[in-house]
Amino acid sequence: MPSFISWLADPTHWNGPDGVPTRVVEHLQISGSAVLVALLIGLPLGLWIGHTGRGATAAINVANIGRAIPSYALIGMILPISLSIGSQLYWLSVVPVFVAMTALAIPPILVGAYAGLREVDRDLIEAARGMGFRERQILVAIEIPLAAPVIVGGIRTATLQVIATATIGAIISGGGLGRYIFDGLLLPDIPRVEAGAVLIAALAIGVDTVLAGVQRLITPRPPRNPARTPEPPEVPREPPPAGTRRLVRATGG
Amino acid sequence: MRNSRTLAIGATLVMVLAACTSGSTPAPSAAASAAPSQAAASASTAPAAAGSVTLPTVRIGSDNFYESKLMAEIYAQILEHAGYTVVRNFGLGSRAAREPLLEQGQVDMVPEYIGSGLGYYDKTAPTGDAQSNHDKLAAILKTKGGGIEVFGFTPAQDQNAAVVRKDTASQYNLTRMSDLAAIQTKLVWGLPPDCDTNPLCSGALRQYGITYPPAQRVALAACDAPIAEALHAGTISFAWLCSTQPAILQFGFVQLTDDLKTQPADNIAPLVRDDFLAKVPDKAAFQALLDNASSKMTTAMLLQLGVDVAVNNQDIATVARNWLTQEGLLN
Repeated sequence: MPSFISWLADPTHWNGPDGVPTRVVEHLQISGSAVLVALLIGLPLGLWIGHTGRGATAAINVANIGRAIPSYALIGMILPISLSIGSQLYWLSVVPVFVAMTALAIPPILVGAYAGLREVDRDLIEAARGMGFRERQILVAIEIPLAAPVIVGGIRTATLQVIATATIGAIISGGGLGRYIFDGLLLPDIPRVEAGAVLIAALAIGVDTVLAGVQRLITPRPPRNPARTPEPPEVPREPPPAGTRRLVRATGG
Repeated sequence: MRNSRTLAIGATLVMVLAACTSGSTPAPSAAASAAPSQAAASASTAPAAAGSVTLPTVRIGSDNFYESKLMAEIYAQILEHAGYTVVRNFGLGSRAAREPLLEQGQVDMVPEYIGSGLGYYDKTAPTGDAQSNHDKLAAILKTKGGGIEVFGFTPAQDQNAAVVRKDTASQYNLTRMSDLAAIQTKLVWGLPPDCDTNPLCSGALRQYGITYPPAQRVALAACDAPIAEALHAGTISFAWLCSTQPAILQFGFVQLTDDLKTQPADNIAPLVRDDFLAKVPDKAAFQALLDNASSKMTTAMLLQLGVDVAVNNQDIATVARNWLTQEGLLN
Protein backbone atom coordinates (compact mmCIF):
# COMPACT_ATOMS: atom_id res chain seq x y z
CA MET A 1 0.00 0.00 0.00
CA PRO A 2 1.55 3.33 -0.97
CA SER A 3 2.68 5.22 2.10
CA PHE A 4 0.51 8.25 1.55
CA ILE A 5 -2.66 6.19 1.69
CA SER A 6 -1.85 4.99 5.20
CA TRP A 7 -1.03 8.58 6.15
CA LEU A 8 -4.37 9.80 4.80
CA ALA A 9 -6.21 6.90 6.41
CA ASP A 10 -4.95 7.91 9.84
CA PRO A 11 -7.81 9.78 11.56
CA THR A 12 -5.44 11.85 13.74
CA HIS A 13 -4.24 13.58 10.59
CA TRP A 14 -7.73 14.95 10.00
CA ASN A 15 -8.24 17.04 13.12
CA GLY A 16 -6.44 19.81 14.93
CA PRO A 17 -4.50 22.84 13.67
CA ASP A 18 -2.30 20.63 11.48
CA GLY A 19 -5.20 18.50 10.22
CA VAL A 20 -6.17 18.20 6.58
CA PRO A 21 -9.40 20.29 6.75
CA THR A 22 -7.61 23.19 8.47
CA ARG A 23 -4.74 23.10 6.00
CA VAL A 24 -7.08 22.90 3.00
CA VAL A 25 -9.03 25.93 4.22
CA GLU A 26 -5.80 27.86 4.79
CA HIS A 27 -4.60 26.90 1.33
CA LEU A 28 -7.83 28.01 -0.31
CA GLN A 29 -7.75 31.26 1.64
CA ILE A 30 -4.30 32.25 0.45
CA SER A 31 -4.88 31.03 -3.11
CA GLY A 32 -8.35 32.55 -3.38
CA SER A 33 -7.35 35.96 -2.09
CA ALA A 34 -4.36 36.10 -4.42
CA VAL A 35 -6.45 35.17 -7.47
CA LEU A 36 -9.12 37.67 -6.43
CA VAL A 37 -6.69 40.55 -6.20
CA ALA A 38 -5.05 39.42 -9.44
CA LEU A 39 -8.50 39.59 -11.07
CA LEU A 40 -9.03 43.12 -9.77
CA ILE A 41 -5.70 44.19 -11.24
CA GLY A 42 -5.27 42.00 -14.32
CA LEU A 43 -8.79 41.78 -15.69
CA PRO A 44 -9.52 45.51 -16.19
CA LEU A 45 -6.04 45.99 -17.60
CA GLY A 46 -6.39 43.02 -19.94
CA LEU A 47 -9.80 44.16 -21.13
CA TRP A 48 -8.48 47.65 -21.76
CA ILE A 49 -5.48 46.60 -23.83
CA GLY A 50 -7.60 43.99 -25.59
CA HIS A 51 -10.31 46.46 -26.51
CA THR A 52 -8.07 49.35 -27.55
CA GLY A 53 -5.18 47.25 -28.86
CA ARG A 54 -2.82 49.80 -27.31
CA GLY A 55 0.05 49.18 -24.86
CA ALA A 56 -0.34 45.41 -25.14
CA THR A 57 3.33 44.58 -25.56
CA ALA A 58 4.40 46.73 -22.65
CA ALA A 59 1.63 45.51 -20.35
CA ILE A 60 2.20 41.84 -21.13
CA ASN A 61 5.99 42.07 -20.77
CA VAL A 62 5.74 43.81 -17.42
CA ALA A 63 3.09 41.37 -16.20
CA ASN A 64 5.19 38.36 -17.22
CA ILE A 65 7.84 39.36 -14.70
CA GLY A 66 5.47 37.94 -12.11
CA ARG A 67 5.88 34.45 -13.52
CA ALA A 68 9.42 34.79 -14.90
CA ILE A 69 10.90 35.26 -11.44
CA PRO A 70 10.67 31.96 -9.55
CA SER A 71 8.15 32.36 -6.77
CA TYR A 72 10.63 30.87 -4.29
CA ALA A 73 13.07 33.69 -5.07
CA LEU A 74 10.33 36.29 -5.07
CA ILE A 75 9.30 35.33 -1.55
CA GLY A 76 12.92 35.57 -0.39
CA MET A 77 13.20 39.05 -1.88
CA ILE A 78 9.88 40.29 -0.50
CA LEU A 79 10.44 38.98 3.03
CA PRO A 80 12.84 41.67 4.32
CA ILE A 81 10.64 44.39 2.82
CA SER A 82 7.53 42.89 4.35
CA LEU A 83 9.19 42.59 7.76
CA SER A 84 10.37 46.18 7.63
CA ILE A 85 6.76 47.29 7.34
CA GLY A 86 5.53 45.44 10.39
CA SER A 87 6.62 42.71 12.78
CA GLN A 88 3.31 40.96 13.33
CA LEU A 89 3.23 37.35 12.27
CA TYR A 90 1.27 37.89 9.07
CA TRP A 91 3.99 40.14 7.66
CA LEU A 92 6.15 37.01 7.82
CA SER A 93 3.84 34.13 7.08
CA VAL A 94 1.14 35.65 4.84
CA VAL A 95 2.17 38.82 3.02
CA PRO A 96 5.22 37.59 1.06
CA VAL A 97 3.46 34.51 -0.29
CA PHE A 98 0.30 36.53 -0.99
CA VAL A 99 2.25 39.09 -3.03
CA ALA A 100 4.19 36.38 -4.89
CA MET A 101 1.00 34.45 -5.71
CA THR A 102 -0.78 37.59 -6.92
CA ALA A 103 2.21 38.36 -9.15
CA LEU A 104 2.00 34.80 -10.47
CA ALA A 105 -1.74 34.98 -11.16
CA ILE A 106 -1.84 38.33 -12.98
CA PRO A 107 -0.07 37.29 -16.25
CA PRO A 108 -2.43 34.46 -17.26
CA ILE A 109 -5.50 36.56 -16.40
CA LEU A 110 -4.21 39.60 -18.26
CA VAL A 111 -3.07 37.65 -21.30
CA GLY A 112 -6.31 35.63 -21.33
CA ALA A 113 -8.43 38.78 -21.36
CA TYR A 114 -6.27 40.36 -24.04
CA ALA A 115 -6.20 37.28 -26.27
CA GLY A 116 -9.91 36.65 -25.86
CA LEU A 117 -10.81 40.16 -26.90
CA ARG A 118 -8.42 40.15 -29.83
CA GLU A 119 -10.10 37.03 -31.20
CA VAL A 120 -13.50 38.70 -31.48
CA ASP A 121 -14.43 39.26 -35.12
CA ARG A 122 -13.48 42.85 -35.97
CA ASP A 123 -16.31 43.08 -38.45
CA LEU A 124 -18.80 42.59 -35.65
CA ILE A 125 -17.24 45.44 -33.72
CA GLU A 126 -17.15 47.69 -36.76
CA ALA A 127 -20.76 46.87 -37.47
CA ALA A 128 -21.68 47.71 -33.91
CA ARG A 129 -19.84 50.99 -34.13
CA GLY A 130 -21.66 51.72 -37.33
CA MET A 131 -24.95 51.03 -35.62
CA GLY A 132 -24.09 53.64 -33.04
CA PHE A 133 -22.91 51.43 -30.13
CA ARG A 134 -20.66 53.30 -27.70
CA GLU A 135 -17.27 51.80 -26.84
CA ARG A 136 -18.36 50.66 -23.40
CA GLN A 137 -21.47 49.00 -24.87
CA ILE A 138 -19.33 47.19 -27.43
CA LEU A 139 -17.08 45.91 -24.68
CA VAL A 140 -19.86 44.77 -22.39
CA ALA A 141 -22.45 43.55 -24.86
CA ILE A 142 -20.29 42.06 -27.59
CA GLU A 143 -16.63 41.57 -26.79
CA ILE A 144 -16.80 40.19 -23.26
CA PRO A 145 -19.56 37.64 -23.91
CA LEU A 146 -17.75 36.37 -27.00
CA ALA A 147 -14.34 36.36 -25.29
CA ALA A 148 -15.64 34.91 -22.04
CA PRO A 149 -14.43 31.32 -22.58
CA VAL A 150 -10.87 32.48 -23.22
CA ILE A 151 -11.01 34.91 -20.30
CA VAL A 152 -12.16 32.16 -17.96
CA GLY A 153 -9.45 29.95 -19.46
CA GLY A 154 -6.90 32.49 -18.28
CA ILE A 155 -8.46 32.52 -14.82
CA ARG A 156 -8.30 28.70 -14.76
CA THR A 157 -4.60 28.72 -15.58
CA ALA A 158 -3.92 31.33 -12.92
CA THR A 159 -5.87 29.45 -10.26
CA LEU A 160 -4.21 26.13 -11.00
CA GLN A 161 -0.73 27.64 -10.84
CA VAL A 162 -1.46 29.51 -7.63
CA ILE A 163 -2.89 26.48 -5.85
CA ALA A 164 0.15 24.42 -6.83
CA THR A 165 2.69 27.11 -5.96
CA ALA A 166 1.17 28.40 -2.73
CA THR A 167 2.92 25.43 -1.13
CA ILE A 168 6.13 27.42 -0.78
CA GLY A 169 4.63 29.72 1.84
CA ALA A 170 5.46 26.99 4.30
CA ILE A 171 9.12 27.91 4.06
CA ILE A 172 8.47 31.12 5.96
CA SER A 173 6.11 29.63 8.53
CA GLY A 174 3.02 29.97 6.33
CA GLY A 175 0.10 27.56 6.56
CA GLY A 176 -1.70 25.58 3.90
CA LEU A 177 -1.01 22.18 2.40
CA GLY A 178 2.63 23.13 1.78
CA ARG A 179 3.24 22.52 5.48
CA TYR A 180 2.98 18.76 4.88
CA ILE A 181 5.66 18.93 2.23
CA PHE A 182 8.06 21.26 4.03
CA ASP A 183 7.70 19.69 7.47
CA GLY A 184 7.77 16.22 5.94
CA LEU A 185 11.06 16.93 4.16
CA LEU A 186 12.70 18.25 7.33
CA LEU A 187 11.62 15.53 9.74
CA PRO A 188 11.94 13.39 7.48
CA ASP A 189 8.47 11.93 7.07
CA ILE A 190 8.13 10.94 3.43
CA PRO A 191 4.53 9.62 3.66
CA ARG A 192 3.55 13.09 4.83
CA VAL A 193 5.31 14.66 1.86
CA GLU A 194 3.53 12.32 -0.53
CA ALA A 195 0.17 12.92 1.11
CA GLY A 196 0.71 16.65 0.86
CA ALA A 197 1.56 16.42 -2.82
CA VAL A 198 -1.49 14.27 -3.52
CA LEU A 199 -3.79 16.62 -1.59
CA ILE A 200 -2.49 19.69 -3.40
CA ALA A 201 -2.89 18.02 -6.79
CA ALA A 202 -6.41 16.88 -5.90
CA LEU A 203 -7.37 20.35 -4.75
CA ALA A 204 -5.93 21.97 -7.87
CA ILE A 205 -7.66 19.51 -10.20
CA GLY A 206 -10.92 19.78 -8.29
CA VAL A 207 -11.02 23.57 -8.50
CA ASP A 208 -9.94 23.43 -12.13
CA THR A 209 -12.79 21.05 -12.94
CA VAL A 210 -15.30 23.45 -11.38
CA LEU A 211 -13.88 26.33 -13.39
CA ALA A 212 -13.98 24.19 -16.54
CA GLY A 213 -17.68 23.74 -15.92
CA VAL A 214 -18.08 27.49 -15.59
CA GLN A 215 -16.17 27.93 -18.81
CA ARG A 216 -18.52 25.54 -20.62
CA LEU A 217 -21.60 27.28 -19.23
CA ILE A 218 -20.60 30.70 -20.46
CA THR A 219 -19.45 29.61 -23.91
CA PRO A 220 -22.01 31.17 -26.26
CA ARG A 221 -23.74 28.49 -28.32
CA PRO A 222 -24.77 29.12 -31.92
CA PRO A 223 -28.59 29.26 -32.32
CA ARG A 224 -29.92 25.83 -33.35
CA ASN A 225 -32.73 27.08 -35.60
CA PRO A 226 -31.75 30.35 -37.15
CA ALA A 227 -35.00 32.39 -37.31
CA ARG A 228 -36.10 32.98 -40.84
CA THR A 229 -35.88 36.70 -41.44
CA PRO A 230 -38.65 38.06 -43.70
CA GLU A 231 -37.58 39.23 -47.14
CA PRO A 232 -37.37 43.01 -47.45
CA PRO A 233 -40.05 44.53 -49.75
CA GLU A 234 -39.07 44.96 -53.43
CA VAL A 235 -37.45 48.34 -53.97
CA PRO A 236 -37.90 49.68 -57.50
CA ARG A 237 -34.51 50.05 -59.09
CA GLU A 238 -34.09 53.59 -60.35
CA PRO A 239 -30.82 55.27 -61.06
CA PRO A 240 -29.92 57.58 -58.18
CA PRO A 241 -30.51 61.28 -58.91
CA ALA A 242 -27.49 63.15 -60.21
CA GLY A 243 -25.31 64.53 -57.51
CA THR A 244 -26.06 61.82 -54.97
CA ARG A 245 -23.60 59.32 -56.40
CA ARG A 246 -20.82 60.51 -54.11
CA LEU A 247 -23.13 60.17 -51.09
CA VAL A 248 -24.09 56.61 -52.03
CA ARG A 249 -20.48 55.54 -52.47
CA ALA A 250 -19.50 56.97 -49.10
CA THR A 251 -22.10 55.03 -47.13
CA GLY A 252 -22.30 51.87 -49.24
CA GLY A 253 -20.20 48.88 -48.37
CA MET B 1 16.01 40.66 -39.95
CA ARG B 2 18.96 38.35 -40.55
CA ASN B 3 21.36 40.69 -38.80
CA SER B 4 19.32 40.74 -35.63
CA ARG B 5 19.03 36.95 -35.65
CA THR B 6 22.78 36.55 -36.04
CA LEU B 7 23.25 39.02 -33.23
CA ALA B 8 20.91 37.05 -31.02
CA ILE B 9 22.67 33.76 -31.72
CA GLY B 10 26.07 35.36 -31.14
CA ALA B 11 24.96 36.90 -27.88
CA THR B 12 23.58 33.58 -26.69
CA LEU B 13 26.85 31.82 -27.52
CA VAL B 14 28.85 34.44 -25.66
CA MET B 15 26.64 34.07 -22.59
CA VAL B 16 26.90 30.25 -22.69
CA LEU B 17 30.67 30.41 -22.96
CA ALA B 18 30.90 32.93 -20.15
CA ALA B 19 28.73 30.76 -17.91
CA CYS B 20 30.83 27.69 -18.64
CA THR B 21 34.16 29.26 -17.82
CA SER B 22 33.20 31.40 -14.84
CA GLY B 23 32.68 30.30 -11.25
CA SER B 24 34.14 27.35 -9.39
CA THR B 25 32.66 24.62 -11.56
CA PRO B 26 34.53 21.32 -11.58
CA ALA B 27 34.24 20.88 -15.38
CA PRO B 28 37.18 23.06 -16.49
CA SER B 29 39.54 21.59 -13.88
CA ALA B 30 38.63 18.02 -14.82
CA ALA B 31 40.54 18.38 -18.07
CA ALA B 32 43.47 19.86 -16.21
CA SER B 33 43.51 17.01 -13.72
CA ALA B 34 43.64 14.29 -16.37
CA ALA B 35 47.27 15.01 -17.26
CA PRO B 36 48.66 15.21 -13.70
CA SER B 37 46.95 11.99 -12.59
CA GLN B 38 48.48 10.16 -15.56
CA ALA B 39 51.85 11.58 -14.59
CA ALA B 40 51.26 10.42 -11.03
CA ALA B 41 50.35 6.92 -12.24
CA SER B 42 53.50 6.58 -14.34
CA ALA B 43 55.62 7.92 -11.51
CA SER B 44 54.27 5.36 -9.06
CA THR B 45 55.10 2.43 -11.34
CA ALA B 46 58.65 3.56 -12.18
CA PRO B 47 61.20 3.87 -9.38
CA ALA B 48 61.20 7.48 -8.27
CA ALA B 49 64.28 9.33 -9.43
CA ALA B 50 66.17 11.11 -6.69
CA GLY B 51 64.64 14.50 -5.87
CA SER B 52 61.52 14.07 -8.01
CA VAL B 53 58.38 13.19 -6.11
CA THR B 54 55.09 13.53 -7.94
CA LEU B 55 52.29 14.41 -5.57
CA PRO B 56 48.87 12.81 -6.22
CA THR B 57 45.91 14.86 -7.33
CA VAL B 58 43.45 15.41 -4.51
CA ARG B 59 39.71 15.78 -5.12
CA ILE B 60 38.16 17.96 -2.42
CA GLY B 61 34.40 18.04 -1.93
CA SER B 62 32.17 20.27 0.17
CA ASP B 63 28.55 20.76 1.16
CA ASN B 64 26.29 23.33 -0.38
CA PHE B 65 26.52 26.15 2.13
CA TYR B 66 29.15 28.89 2.13
CA GLU B 67 30.99 27.81 5.29
CA SER B 68 31.65 24.31 4.01
CA LYS B 69 32.93 25.73 0.72
CA LEU B 70 35.12 28.19 2.61
CA MET B 71 36.71 25.48 4.73
CA ALA B 72 37.27 23.31 1.67
CA GLU B 73 38.81 26.25 -0.18
CA ILE B 74 41.21 26.93 2.70
CA TYR B 75 42.39 23.31 2.72
CA ALA B 76 42.59 23.36 -1.09
CA GLN B 77 44.85 26.43 -1.18
CA ILE B 78 47.16 25.02 1.51
CA LEU B 79 47.60 21.82 -0.47
CA GLU B 80 48.12 23.69 -3.72
CA HIS B 81 50.79 25.79 -2.01
CA ALA B 82 52.49 22.54 -0.98
CA GLY B 83 52.55 21.34 -4.59
CA TYR B 84 49.42 19.20 -4.82
CA THR B 85 47.03 19.46 -7.74
CA VAL B 86 43.55 20.05 -6.38
CA VAL B 87 40.28 19.26 -8.10
CA ARG B 88 37.47 21.23 -6.48
CA ASN B 89 34.14 19.42 -6.33
CA PHE B 90 32.36 21.89 -4.10
CA GLY B 91 28.64 22.22 -3.45
CA LEU B 92 27.81 18.51 -3.54
CA GLY B 93 24.65 18.98 -1.48
CA SER B 94 23.73 18.28 2.11
CA ARG B 95 25.53 15.68 4.23
CA ALA B 96 23.04 13.03 3.14
CA ALA B 97 24.09 13.62 -0.46
CA ARG B 98 27.80 14.27 0.09
CA GLU B 99 28.75 11.52 2.52
CA PRO B 100 27.91 8.60 0.18
CA LEU B 101 30.12 10.25 -2.44
CA LEU B 102 33.03 10.26 0.01
CA GLU B 103 32.38 6.65 0.96
CA GLN B 104 32.27 5.60 -2.67
CA GLY B 105 35.50 7.38 -3.46
CA GLN B 106 34.10 10.06 -5.76
CA VAL B 107 36.03 12.59 -3.70
CA ASP B 108 39.14 12.10 -1.54
CA MET B 109 38.53 14.67 1.16
CA VAL B 110 35.77 16.79 2.71
CA PRO B 111 35.57 19.17 5.68
CA GLU B 112 33.21 17.80 8.33
CA TYR B 113 31.46 19.06 11.46
CA ILE B 114 32.41 16.22 13.74
CA GLY B 115 29.41 16.37 16.10
CA SER B 116 26.79 16.40 13.35
CA GLY B 117 28.90 14.05 11.23
CA LEU B 118 28.90 11.56 14.10
CA GLY B 119 25.15 12.05 14.49
CA TYR B 120 24.70 11.13 10.82
CA TYR B 121 26.00 7.64 11.59
CA ASP B 122 24.74 7.30 15.17
CA LYS B 123 22.03 9.66 16.44
CA THR B 124 22.74 8.99 20.11
CA ALA B 125 26.52 9.30 20.08
CA PRO B 126 27.31 13.06 19.86
CA THR B 127 28.03 14.97 23.05
CA GLY B 128 29.38 18.37 23.98
CA ASP B 129 32.88 16.86 24.18
CA ALA B 130 34.75 17.50 20.95
CA GLN B 131 37.49 14.90 21.53
CA SER B 132 34.94 12.21 22.25
CA ASN B 133 33.00 13.09 19.08
CA HIS B 134 36.21 13.01 17.09
CA ASP B 135 37.29 9.60 18.37
CA LYS B 136 33.87 8.01 17.95
CA LEU B 137 33.59 9.34 14.40
CA ALA B 138 37.08 8.09 13.59
CA ALA B 139 36.17 4.62 14.86
CA ILE B 140 33.04 4.49 12.70
CA LEU B 141 34.76 5.84 9.58
CA LYS B 142 37.52 3.22 9.79
CA THR B 143 34.85 0.78 8.65
CA LYS B 144 33.39 2.95 5.85
CA GLY B 145 34.42 3.17 2.21
CA GLY B 146 37.61 1.18 2.69
CA GLY B 147 38.73 3.37 5.58
CA ILE B 148 38.47 7.13 6.11
CA GLU B 149 40.65 9.14 8.48
CA VAL B 150 39.52 12.02 10.67
CA PHE B 151 42.34 14.53 10.98
CA GLY B 152 42.81 17.04 13.79
CA PHE B 153 39.85 19.28 14.59
CA THR B 154 39.67 23.06 14.79
CA PRO B 155 39.11 25.05 17.96
CA ALA B 156 36.32 26.67 15.95
CA GLN B 157 32.84 25.34 16.44
CA ASP B 158 29.74 25.96 14.37
CA GLN B 159 26.91 24.50 16.32
CA ASN B 160 23.28 25.12 17.04
CA ALA B 161 22.95 28.46 18.81
CA ALA B 162 20.05 29.67 20.92
CA VAL B 163 19.83 33.32 19.97
CA VAL B 164 17.84 36.36 21.09
CA ARG B 165 17.98 40.03 20.18
CA LYS B 166 20.11 42.37 22.23
CA ASP B 167 17.07 44.21 23.56
CA THR B 168 15.45 40.97 24.70
CA ALA B 169 18.67 39.92 26.43
CA SER B 170 18.97 43.17 28.36
CA GLN B 171 15.24 43.34 29.16
CA TYR B 172 15.21 39.91 30.81
CA ASN B 173 18.87 39.67 31.80
CA LEU B 174 19.55 36.67 29.61
CA THR B 175 23.05 35.21 29.27
CA ARG B 176 22.52 31.46 29.54
CA MET B 177 19.85 29.13 28.21
CA SER B 178 18.94 28.33 31.81
CA ASP B 179 17.71 31.91 32.13
CA LEU B 180 14.93 31.23 29.62
CA ALA B 181 12.65 29.08 31.76
CA ALA B 182 11.59 31.94 34.01
CA ILE B 183 10.33 34.11 31.12
CA GLN B 184 9.36 31.41 28.63
CA THR B 185 5.75 32.56 28.24
CA LYS B 186 6.90 36.04 27.27
CA LEU B 187 8.76 34.82 24.21
CA VAL B 188 7.65 33.92 20.70
CA TRP B 189 9.65 30.80 19.84
CA GLY B 190 11.05 30.31 16.33
CA LEU B 191 11.56 26.55 16.16
CA PRO B 192 12.22 24.25 13.19
CA PRO B 193 9.32 22.02 12.12
CA ASP B 194 11.24 18.90 13.12
CA CYS B 195 11.77 20.20 16.66
CA ASP B 196 9.15 17.81 18.04
CA THR B 197 11.11 14.74 17.04
CA ASN B 198 14.61 16.18 17.35
CA PRO B 199 16.23 15.48 20.75
CA LEU B 200 18.66 18.36 20.14
CA CYS B 201 15.71 20.75 19.91
CA SER B 202 12.70 19.67 21.99
CA GLY B 203 14.84 17.48 24.22
CA ALA B 204 17.23 20.30 24.93
CA LEU B 205 14.46 22.80 25.61
CA ARG B 206 12.83 20.41 28.06
CA GLN B 207 16.17 20.00 29.81
CA TYR B 208 16.18 23.76 30.35
CA GLY B 209 12.71 23.66 31.90
CA ILE B 210 10.78 24.92 28.88
CA THR B 211 7.31 23.43 28.55
CA TYR B 212 7.25 21.86 25.13
CA PRO B 213 5.64 22.76 22.78
CA PRO B 214 5.55 26.41 23.78
CA ALA B 215 2.23 28.16 23.27
CA GLN B 216 3.64 30.85 21.01
CA ARG B 217 5.56 29.01 18.34
CA VAL B 218 6.44 29.88 14.75
CA ALA B 219 7.74 27.15 12.44
CA LEU B 220 10.94 28.24 10.72
CA ALA B 221 13.98 26.21 9.62
CA ALA B 222 17.09 26.80 11.72
CA CYS B 223 20.23 28.58 10.52
CA ASP B 224 18.92 30.26 7.41
CA ALA B 225 17.91 33.74 6.33
CA PRO B 226 14.14 33.80 7.06
CA ILE B 227 14.50 32.87 10.74
CA ALA B 228 17.26 35.45 11.21
CA GLU B 229 15.16 38.11 9.50
CA ALA B 230 12.10 37.22 11.57
CA LEU B 231 14.14 37.53 14.76
CA HIS B 232 15.58 40.84 13.65
CA ALA B 233 12.15 42.23 12.79
CA GLY B 234 10.68 41.20 16.12
CA THR B 235 8.17 38.67 14.79
CA ILE B 236 9.87 36.05 16.96
CA SER B 237 11.96 36.57 20.08
CA PHE B 238 13.91 33.28 20.18
CA ALA B 239 15.61 31.55 17.27
CA TRP B 240 17.84 28.56 16.62
CA LEU B 241 20.70 29.80 14.47
CA CYS B 242 24.18 28.44 13.75
CA SER B 243 26.89 29.91 15.94
CA THR B 244 28.97 31.23 13.05
CA GLN B 245 26.01 32.55 11.09
CA PRO B 246 26.85 36.08 9.90
CA ALA B 247 23.42 37.33 10.94
CA ILE B 248 24.52 37.13 14.57
CA LEU B 249 27.21 39.76 13.99
CA GLN B 250 25.21 41.61 11.39
CA PHE B 251 22.13 42.16 13.59
CA GLY B 252 23.92 42.21 16.92
CA PHE B 253 22.16 39.14 18.28
CA VAL B 254 23.11 37.59 21.62
CA GLN B 255 23.93 33.89 21.71
CA LEU B 256 22.89 32.29 25.00
CA THR B 257 25.43 29.93 26.55
CA ASP B 258 24.47 26.27 26.36
CA ASP B 259 25.36 25.79 30.04
CA LEU B 260 23.90 22.28 30.24
CA LYS B 261 25.86 21.28 27.12
CA THR B 262 22.86 19.94 25.24
CA GLN B 263 24.25 20.66 21.78
CA PRO B 264 26.95 18.47 20.18
CA ALA B 265 30.38 20.01 19.84
CA ASP B 266 30.64 20.72 16.13
CA ASN B 267 34.29 21.40 15.54
CA ILE B 268 35.56 21.01 11.99
CA ALA B 269 37.99 18.37 10.76
CA PRO B 270 38.97 17.12 7.31
CA LEU B 271 37.90 13.59 6.45
CA VAL B 272 40.46 11.91 4.16
CA ARG B 273 40.20 8.55 2.40
CA ASP B 274 42.84 5.92 3.14
CA ASP B 275 43.25 4.94 -0.50
CA PHE B 276 44.19 8.52 -1.29
CA LEU B 277 46.62 8.67 1.65
CA ALA B 278 48.31 5.53 0.31
CA LYS B 279 49.40 7.60 -2.71
CA VAL B 280 50.85 10.40 -0.57
CA PRO B 281 54.64 10.13 -0.26
CA ASP B 282 54.81 11.53 3.30
CA LYS B 283 51.52 10.95 5.12
CA ALA B 284 52.70 12.52 8.36
CA ALA B 285 53.71 15.72 6.60
CA PHE B 286 50.41 15.78 4.76
CA GLN B 287 48.43 15.53 7.97
CA ALA B 288 50.68 18.03 9.74
CA LEU B 289 50.01 20.51 6.97
CA LEU B 290 46.25 20.32 7.48
CA ASP B 291 46.35 20.01 11.28
CA ASN B 292 48.49 23.12 11.47
CA ALA B 293 45.95 25.11 9.48
CA SER B 294 43.04 23.68 11.47
CA SER B 295 44.66 24.63 14.76
CA LYS B 296 44.57 28.28 13.73
CA MET B 297 40.84 28.33 12.96
CA THR B 298 38.84 29.89 15.78
CA THR B 299 35.11 30.50 16.07
CA ALA B 300 35.74 34.24 15.86
CA MET B 301 37.60 33.67 12.60
CA LEU B 302 34.71 31.67 11.15
CA LEU B 303 32.27 34.36 12.17
CA GLN B 304 34.33 37.12 10.61
CA LEU B 305 35.06 35.26 7.39
CA GLY B 306 31.39 34.35 7.25
CA VAL B 307 30.50 38.03 7.32
CA ASP B 308 33.01 38.69 4.55
CA VAL B 309 31.54 36.01 2.33
CA ALA B 310 27.83 36.00 3.13
CA VAL B 311 27.18 39.63 4.05
CA ASN B 312 29.86 41.60 2.17
CA ASN B 313 29.67 39.18 -0.76
CA GLN B 314 33.41 38.79 -1.15
CA ASP B 315 34.75 35.96 -3.28
CA ILE B 316 35.42 32.79 -1.24
CA ALA B 317 38.83 32.14 -2.81
CA THR B 318 39.98 35.69 -2.05
CA VAL B 319 38.72 35.55 1.54
CA ALA B 320 40.50 32.21 2.05
CA ARG B 321 43.76 33.48 0.56
CA ASN B 322 43.68 36.63 2.69
CA TRP B 323 43.20 34.64 5.86
CA LEU B 324 45.94 32.14 4.96
CA THR B 325 48.35 34.98 4.17
CA GLN B 326 47.47 36.73 7.40
CA GLU B 327 48.19 33.54 9.38
CA GLY B 328 51.50 33.04 7.57
CA LEU B 329 50.40 29.73 6.12
CA LEU B 330 51.27 30.57 2.54
CA ASN B 331 54.96 31.35 3.13
